Amino acid sequence: MTPVTVAERNCVRVSGLRTGRPMVFAHGFGCDQSMWRLVIPDFEVDHSVVLFDHVGSGNSDLSAYDREKYDSLAGYAADVVEICRELGLSDVVFVGHSVSAVIGVLAAAQAPELFGALVMIGPNPRYVDDDGYTGGFSRADIASLLDSLDGNHLGWSRTMAPVIMGNPDRPELSEELTNSFCRTDPEIARQFARVTFLSDNRADLPGVAVPTLVLQCRDDVIAPDAVGDYVHERVPGSVLTRLQATGHCPQLSAPEETTAAIRAFL
Amino acid sequence: MGIDTGPPIDPRGQLNRLLDEDPADLYENAPCGYVSTLPDGTVVKVNRTFCAWTGRPASEVLGGRFQDLLDIGGRVFHETHLMPLLRMQGAVREIALDVLRVDGSVLPCLLSAVEVRDDDGAAVLVRATLFEATARRRYERELLAAQRAAEASEARARALHGVVSDLAAAISVDDVAAVIVQRSREALRAAGAALVLVEPPRAGTGVDLPGLTLIRSEGVPPPLVDRLRRAAGEQPARGVRSLLLDDRLRAERPAIAAELAAAGFTGLVVVPVAADTRRLGVLIVGIGDVPGGLISLEEPGSRQAIPAADVDLMSTLGRQAGQALERAALHEATARQAERAGFLLDAARLLAAAADVRETVERMAELAVPRLADLCVVDLVTEQGMKRVAARHGDPVRQPLADRLREVQLPPGGTAHPSMQAVLEGRTRWVRDLDDRLLGEITTDPRHVETVRALELGGVISVPFVADGRVLGVVTLCADRRREPFTAADVEVAEQLALQVALVVAKAQRYELDVRTSHTLQANLLPAPPPPVPGLATAVRYLPATHGVDVGGDFYDVVRLPGGQLALVVGDVVGHDITAAATMGQLASVHRALLVDAPAPSAVIDRLQASWPVLGLQRMATALFATLDPATGRLRIASAGHLPPLLLDGGRAEFLPVQPSRMLGAPPAPSPAAEWTGVLPTGATLVLFTDGLVESRTKDLDVGLDRLLAVAASSGSADPDALCDRLLAELTGPHRADDIALLALTRLG
Repeated sequence: MTPVTVAERNCVRVSGLRTGRPMVFAHGFGCDQSMWRLVIPDFEVDHSVVLFDHVGSGNSDLSAYDREKYDSLAGYAADVVEICRELGLSDVVFVGHSVSAVIGVLAAAQAPELFGALVMIGPNPRYVDDDGYTGGFSRADIASLLDSLDGNHLGWSRTMAPVIMGNPDRPELSEELTNSFCRTDPEIARQFARVTFLSDNRADLPGVAVPTLVLQCRDDVIAPDAVGDYVHERVPGSVLTRLQATGHCPQLSAPEETTAAIRAFL
Repeated sequence: MGIDTGPPIDPRGQLNRLLDEDPADLYENAPCGYVSTLPDGTVVKVNRTFCAWTGRPASEVLGGRFQDLLDIGGRVFHETHLMPLLRMQGAVREIALDVLRVDGSVLPCLLSAVEVRDDDGAAVLVRATLFEATARRRYERELLAAQRAAEASEARARALHGVVSDLAAAISVDDVAAVIVQRSREALRAAGAALVLVEPPRAGTGVDLPGLTLIRSEGVPPPLVDRLRRAAGEQPARGVRSLLLDDRLRAERPAIAAELAAAGFTGLVVVPVAADTRRLGVLIVGIGDVPGGLISLEEPGSRQAIPAADVDLMSTLGRQAGQALERAALHEATARQAERAGFLLDAARLLAAAADVRETVERMAELAVPRLADLCVVDLVTEQGMKRVAARHGDPVRQPLADRLREVQLPPGGTAHPSMQAVLEGRTRWVRDLDDRLLGEITTDPRHVETVRALELGGVISVPFVADGRVLGVVTLCADRRREPFTAADVEVAEQLALQVALVVAKAQRYELDVRTSHTLQANLLPAPPPPVPGLATAVRYLPATHGVDVGGDFYDVVRLPGGQLALVVGDVVGHDITAAATMGQLASVHRALLVDAPAPSAVIDRLQASWPVLGLQRMATALFATLDPATGRLRIASAGHLPPLLLDGGRAEFLPVQPSRMLGAPPAPSPAAEWTGVLPTGATLVLFTDGLVESRTKDLDVGLDRLLAVAASSGSADPDALCDRLLAELTGPHRADDIALLALTRLG
């Protein structure tokens, strides 16, 4: 078996202005780097745009999935650092959606020299409510969530996995498969869900040392307003921008507004 | 008449009517739910079927958001999967969702949806169909539950297999503890685990309660362990027991509840560790969020008893741990036994090579530290009382403290000092812990106290050396507090060591006594300095051997005979012991007795040979007998198997060719002994010697004799005293295997 490079492992794609300031976009729990397709054309004009899939998602190398490494968000953060190092990036604008916003915080703590700015879209450092803290979910909610994820394997089948994962450049193979952007091995999806929804990274927020933008949507069940305020308060010097967009994925539902907010920050 | 069959049937017409049914009715009453929403989820149209299924009137559904009709999992899934998929691929199929009915119950559905876009590709509307999937979802959930159960079972089996294979590789008690603590923590996803053993195979970690000792802990704070030990007493649990941090515990066991809370545990599982029926200890597993790990899904305080399957798993782990501990303890005991046996073997070798009592005890002290103890002190019983002869510390840094101890003289009898007690009672004293009270009783002055404190002594073992019922001394071994306390096995080794030392010391003391006796005897047997004789200068030397059991049988004598002649003899009785010395004494006496009628030297030999059986002398001997007339220098010499005499005259040295006859005590020769006759010139020196002089540095006699000639020739002195000194200095070293007798006589001018 040939060794897998970081670029192969994380299905890294670089586009845009190579000499521009690098922007690394990290997708959250659920789908893959396709989540950014509506916002990146704007940034490609004057930035070097880096997209990747977390290991276990999209077209990443499933054989690189290590249950122990990915049993905490630090494992994912380490991958982000490796990607930036392999590409020789610096002064990176890290745009993290949902759980990846927190992964960005951890990556910046692991390798502060790489990062120049952080954009956190719909961040939530702890989903489970705690004494004096509202994360938006009870433990029972999370248990129910994990159960309903188990009910949706989204067209995954072990026999098709090699076809789906092994041929990222031949989309026609997967076209006939439903829900192609969000499928993955159910066991990996389950563990990613557990790590996403059962982590507590509140203590990491005060350590952020780069300019940070918090993008908060309206009516976001996954990252309620109170959580956005909490993150804004805890990340030193952060900017909080409230979007008109509703839901959890403004980069899809309101790409222009999202882009404009990021540009205004940068 | 015909039968009235009613109006003519028109199947075609009825079908057409049905097919022409109002499309609105089809929408409203379709066998599936229809929901149309704006891209943000706002419901703009819904059919009657959906309303009927959910019990919600259309007026309530319209204007609200579709995702708000879902349970929490569905709402999250909507955001993370459904909405992005619709945006990206325009359609989703067969998404499993739970819709909330108005009464709060759940309607399991399968949803398919398409996104309607305008000419610019912007989303305008989402059309969704929902099929009830209660039976299918129930089936799927059962399958999933079965799969989860199988996975959990497999995980337990894997955990158990991991434990068994790790334990197989665990050699020491510590290894076993590490495996069992880590593995049980993993198996239960526990916040901490600790192993506590009863009468552990090795001693403990400084906890003061007897019986139960904390061997290893990961994440279980020692105060909690201590609290549990106090609660449990000395009898560990028999079955797996769990303890929950709940109101009842807070009320009934507030101290334990407080420790649990401080440790961040929501509960505890206590697992017995046993081998067969022997209860060896307990494994304590702390339930709670793993620090830095994922948040537990259980509500704090909501946890009930651990699942039965986990109880079984933990029981099995406890049994496996028990067996492994027994195995490890046996292995460690065997290894310690082997080490002790090796130590005693080394001790035997070293002691066998020791020459005297002092060397023996010093070697033993060196050997004992640090292998057996940190400090080894040896006291010997002497005529003047107890004498401390060795104090060695295994740590060179602390040797100066040991040296100070060496200066300490033990107080006379009646003291509590273990060394004295051991001597007085003639048996081993073992002090497990040298506490302040005892320290006060056994020390002699403040400096002594300070020294012992600085040594941090813990256990003390004093073993007397006893040989033939006599206490010869005492060896005291001490362990400082950095070392694990002594065990009964250590005491046994100390006793075996003392036994070996006792034998060697007894032998050495006996030998030293013998040597002293022999040397005293020999010194008394040798004659007084030779009498002054006009015209002659004489010198005599006797040097005993320096090692081994050698006591010499060499002798010399110078006797004035009636008539002015001088009789000379140098002899060597075979053997190096008291018998040899005694034989020499007798021989010297008999020789003097024979001299009454001034016999010729050859006659002396013949008479001694003839009377040897009557004299009952036990050893043979060689000797040179001579007579000298001081006035004329006339010299007669006869040899009984002895080395020839040396003549030194004017810088020339030669051996006089005396024909030796048989050794004294050998069967007599058929012919009389031969005699050499000549004249000792004025200024010449005659030297009579024993073989010790020429065999001291070389085993080759001829080489030794040649060296003697050379040294004598080069001495250039006519003074017999100076010559003797010179010969001994040049020909012998500090170590002599044999004794030496030397007689030199110069005829003055």
